Amino acid sequence: MTFLDHLFIVVFISLIAISALRNLRIVDKLAPVLYGLILIMLVRMSSVAYGGDVYLSSVSLDLLDFKMHWQFTALSWYFAIITVVAALASAVFMSGDWGRQYREQGGNYGMLQLALIVNVFSMILLLGSGDLLSLFIGWEFVSWASFLMMVLSPTKLAKKSAVKYIVYAMTGAMALMVAIVMIYSVNNSLEFKQIGEVFTQMSTSSQLALVLLFFVAFAIKMGLLPFHLWQAIAYAETPGPGAAFLGAISSRMGMFTIVLVIVQFIGLGGLKQLGISFVNMQTLLAWVAALTTIIPTYIALQQHDAKRLLAWHGVGQGGYMLLGIIMFDSIGSAGGLMHVLNHASYQAALFMTVVAVMYRTGTSDLNKLGGLVTQMPLTFLVMLIGIIGLAGLPPMNGFVSKWLVYRSLLVNGQPLLFVAAVLGTLGTILSVYKLIHNTFLGQLRLEHQNVREVPWSMLVPMLGLSIIVFITGFMPGLILPWIASVQESVGLPVIAHHLGGIEYAKGGLDMIWVSGILFYGFGVGALIFYFLGGKSKRVHQYDNYAGGHFLTSDVRYHYSNNFYPGLMHLIGGWYRGSFKWLENSIVSVVSFFSIFFENIYRAKQPVMLLLIGVVLALFALYRNLGVGA
Amino acid sequence: MKKELKIIQKERTNPLAHVFDDFISFCQSKSLFMLHYCTGCGAIELPPAMTSRFDMERLGIQPMVTPRQADILLITGYVSIKTLKRVILTYEQMQSPKYVIGICSCTVNGGMYWQSYATAKKLNEYMPVDVYIAGCMPRPEAVMEGLQRLKDNIRNDKKEHKGSAWKDYFNRYDYYLGNQQALFGDDWQTPTDIIAEAKLYDLETEETYGKHTKLLEKHQTPLLPQEMRIK
Repeated sequence: MTFLDHLFIVVFISLIAISALRNLRIVDKLAPVLYGLILIMLVRMSSVAYGGDVYLSSVSLDLLDFKMHWQFTALSWYFAIITVVAALASAVFMSGDWGRQYREQGGNYGMLQLALIVNVFSMILLLGSGDLLSLFIGWEFVSWASFLMMVLSPTKLAKKSAVKYIVYAMTGAMALMVAIVMIYSVNNSLEFKQIGEVFTQMSTSSQLALVLLFFVAFAIKMGLLPFHLWQAIAYAETPGPGAAFLGAISSRMGMFTIVLVIVQFIGLGGLKQLGISFVNMQTLLAWVAALTTIIPTYIALQQHDAKRLLAWHGVGQGGYMLLGIIMFDSIGSAGGLMHVLNHASYQAALFMTVVAVMYRTGTSDLNKLGGLVTQMPLTFLVMLIGIIGLAGLPPMNGFVSKWLVYRSLLVNGQPLLFVAAVLGTLGTILSVYKLIHNTFLGQLRLEHQNVREVPWSMLVPMLGLSIIVFITGFMPGLILPWIASVQESVGLPVIAHHLGGIEYAKGGLDMIWVSGILFYGFGVGALIFYFLGGKSKRVHQYDNYAGGHFLTSDVRYHYSNNFYPGLMHLIGGWYRGSFKWLENSIVSVVSFFSIFFENIYRAKQPVMLLLIGVVLALFALYRNLGVGA
Repeated sequence: MKKELKIIQKERTNPLAHVFDDFISFCQSKSLFMLHYCTGCGAIELPPAMTSRFDMERLGIQPMVTPRQADILLITGYVSIKTLKRVILTYEQMQSPKYVIGICSCTVNGGMYWQSYATAKKLNEYMPVDVYIAGCMPRPEAVMEGLQRLKDNIRNDKKEHKGSAWKDYFNRYDYYLGNQQALFGDDWQTPTDIIAEAKLYDLETEETYGKHTKLLEKHQTPLLPQEMRIK
C-alpha cells in the first residue's frame, strides 16, 4: 500500500460516505472533514512536489493483454492540491447558512454535496492516470461529474447549457478516443511514453491529425477558442459554491492533459515540425491562446450578471495559461502553470463573494446592486483582493504569473502575442472595475439598507482564499518549487527561483521588493492622511455632489446600466457573435439531418423500411457468402 | 447690513508656530483647485483665462470637478434663488479652508437683475465672499487680477486677516442661516450639519447659535453617516 493507495481509498470512502449520508444534516459538517482528510493524504505525498519520486499505485487492472495503472507525478500532485483546496473551501462555504438557505429554497443540497465529491473523485482519478486508458476513463468521469453539478440548477437555461456542455464534452471525448486508437494501432500499447515514440514514426499528415485530435479534446474542456461557447453560461448557472469550484479548477483538467500529453511527449520540436514556412503548430496554438485571452475577456466586459462576468473571465484566463506553456521556456511555462493555481485561488474567492452578495440581496444583476461596501465590508475586501489578482496587479499572485508570461513572450521575440496578452489584461481591468463598482461602490439602494455581512461559515473560506492570493503573490517562492518539479517531470527547462520570485539573466522578479515598495508608498500616504492632515469626518451618501443637486433616496446617482458607453461606441461594432452564429449553423445542419432521418425511419412506414433494410442486408450477406464460397 | 468680518484667533504656544503658519499659507496659496459654478454669462470669460492665452495654471490654479477636493468656489454671474440653494449646498460640501470668488456685477449687487424678484442680489449675505470681481463681464485680465488678489490674501492671512473669510461662516452661522431662511422658507436645510462641523473644527462662537439655528434644529433630520462595520 503506497500513499497513493491511501489517497484513493480516502477519496473513495468519502464518496461512499457522502452519497450514503447526503440527505442527513450531518453531511454539512462531515464533508469539510473529509476534504480535510483528503488534503492531509495529499500533503503526505508532498515530497513528489519537491523533486521526490513518482508515487505508483499498487492497484492495477488487467485488461486484455494490457495492465491499466495509476500514478502520481509532480504534475498530478500540483493539480490535485488545487482541486482539493478548492473543494474544501466550497464545502466549508456551503456547510453553514448558505446550505440552509439553499435547502429552504428547494435546492437539492445533498445532491450538490454528492456532485462535489464526485467531481473531486473523478478529477483525482484523472490526475492519477498512469496510461492512456486510465486517462480516458478519468476524462469521461470528469465530463459527467461536471454535468451532474451543472444540471442541479432548476432553471431552464441551466439545463440547456448543461446539455450543450455534455455535447461538447462528448465531442472532445470522441476526439480523444480516436487519438488514443491512433496510438494503439501503431504499437499495440497504451503507455504514455508511446505517444512520443509513435509520433516520431508517423507520417506528417498523421502527426497533424494526432496533435489536432488531442488539442481539440483538451481545448474543449478548457474552453479555448473556438470551443469557448459552452463554458461561461454553464458555470454561471451552477448553484453557488458549485460554480466557485467548477470555475476554479474543473476546466483546468484540459490544461493538465495539455501539459501531460502535448507538452511532455510531443514537445516543441514536434509542434515546430508541423507547419508551412513561418506558420507552425506552435504559432497556431499560441494565437489560439492569444485570441482566447482577448475575445472572452471582452465578452465578459459586456455582461451585466456578476457570475457570468466572472465565468467569462475564467474562459479568458485559460488563454494565459496556454500562452505561457506553449512558449516552452522556463519562465513562460512556469507562468502558465502558476496561473492555474493563481486563477483557481482568486476565481473561487470571487465567485464566493458574488454568491455571498446573492445570499444577502437575492440578485447578481450588476444593475440592481451598489453601495454594499458599508454593509458587507469583509466581502468587499475579499472581492478587492480577488479582482487585483484577476487583473494581474501587484502585490497579488495574478501579477506574478502574468508577469512571467509577458516576460517570456518578450524574451522569445513575440511582440504581437505580447500586445494581445496586454489587450486581454486591459479588458480584464475594465470589467473587474465594473464588477466591484456596480456591486460595492456608489449608492446603497433603499432595499439593501438592512443587508448584513454574511456569516462566518461563508467568510472563512473567502478570507482563507484571499490570504492565499496575497501570500502566494507576496512570496511566490512558496509555489515555485512545485512548478520547478512539474517542469522537471515533464521535461521543460526548470526555473531558477527563490522565496521572492525568480532569478533570470534578462531581469528577474522579487515580489518581496515590489510589494515592499508598494506598501511603503501606501505607508507614506497613510502617514500624511492620519498624522499630518486635518480632521476627517464621515458623511452620509446623500451628502454628495451631483452638480449641486439635492440627493434623496429616490434619485439614483449610481449609474451602472450601460457601463463604458464610450468604449462600446468605439468597439461595439466588433461584437458580432460570429462564433455563436457558427455554432447555431452547425446545430441547424445537424438538426436538419436528424429530422430528415427521423422522418424517414419513424414517421413513414417503418415496417416497410425495416423490410427493405432486412432484404438489402440479406442480399448483401448472400452476395458476400457467395463470393466467399 | 453687512457687518465687518470678525476673525477669532486662538493663542499659539508653539514658538515655531508662525514659521509653520507662514509655510502652510505659502503652500496653500500656491496650489488652489477651483470649482467653477457657472451660473451666468461670466462663465464665458473663464475658458480664455484657463487656457493658453492667460494660463491660470501658472498661478497654481486648476479646475476641479468636485467640491470635496476644491479650494475655490467660483460663482460667475447672477444667482437665482433656485440656483442659490445649489450654490449653498456645494459651498457647504467643500472642505475648509475654502474661498469664494464672486465674478460679475450680478453677484455684487444684482447687476442688471437688480429688479428681479427671483435673483439673490448680494452673495455675501448667504456665504462669506473672499473676492468680488466686478464688471459686466470682467475681462480675463480682471479675473486673473482677482485670483492674484486671493492668493495674496491667503499668503498674508496672518498679518491682514483677509484670507480666512470661510471661518466667518462657522463663527456667525446664525446670520447666514437667517438670510437663507428668509429666502427659502423656515424649513430650509442642507445635508451638511454646519453646527457639528463648527464644533469639529473648533470654530463655534456665541454668534454661531441664535434664533435661526433654533428654528433649524426643530425640523432638522440629521443624515447619519453609514458606519463600515461587521454586523
